[in-house]
Amino acid sequence: MNQVALSTKDRLRIELAVRTVDWELDGRVPMARRRQIRQELRSNLLEAATQVGAEKAVRQLGDLKALAGSYLELYRGRLDFRAGAFWAFISYVAIQVLGFALFFAFHAGIAAGGSHGGSYSFELWPGFGPFAGEVSASGNSFQVLLGSPAHLLLVMVAFSIGSSYRRVLARH
Amino acid sequence: MAENGAHDSQLLKGVLSLALMRLLAERESYGYELVTQLHELGLTEIQDGSVYPALGRLERDGQVTSRLVASSSGAARKYYRLSPAGYGALTHIELAWQSLVRAIEPILSRPVPAKPKEALP
Repeated sequence: MNQVALSTKDRLRIELAVRTVDWELDGRVPMARRRQIRQELRSNLLEAATQVGAEKAVRQLGDLKALAGSYLELYRGRLDFRAGAFWAFISYVAIQVLGFALFFAFHAGIAAGGSHGGSYSFELWPGFGPFAGEVSASGNSFQVLLGSPAHLLLVMVAFSIGSSYRRVLARH
Repeated sequence: MAENGAHDSQLLKGVLSLALMRLLAERESYGYELVTQLHELGLTEIQDGSVYPALGRLERDGQVTSRLVASSSGAARKYYRLSPAGYGALTHIELAWQSLVRAIEPILSRPVPAKPKEALP
């Protein structure tokens, strides 16, 4: 079979395919294993490209997400950092939404009570930062915690559950 | 084989490991070379993307071993060879496959009626 010389565009196309697969493995497969997968894929693609051209070589791989899924099935690490980060973020947003909802309820309560002057503060659970706030009677200034040890604790719990629940479920 | 000469992808998936192990029993090889061998043998529907993870699975299960060899293309090739455990497994799987073919063959050799019989009420 004739060998095709590879252009820079061909090499970029191959590298893009390799990185597309690798991106799906990011945070889910150990780094050393990912490096091995990238190396093997690149080597096979380069060889295929010299035989049939880069475009066909990449096409012959099939669906890149499905390929990454097969590798994930094989080499998934103990923790899924990507899923963990996602659930940590979602939990932070949920905490803040709940915190603000409590604050606005508190604020509305002050206004309904007809209080004047001074500042009012609330704390749903003493020492538990996210669900506490302070509002001046005029309503011109308020304070809600955006970060606290409690935030950190909740986000860390969400991260650890989110990064490992799939493996735990798979075991049962 | 189907009427149009194409192979059923689910059937191919089931026998891919057997085919790879059999080829690797003959000689050490790497991913793309195995793909081209399978294509030359008529299994053209097998995609490269199903062969590479299948090799990884065989390696994880201890059926094959691998080593990196420098290549002219720049990136090192990963060569696979059947492990001693792989030889044992191959013999077992080949026997199982032949037994399955023997069991299915009489069923497939029966004449197919032009129209299926009416279902019982």
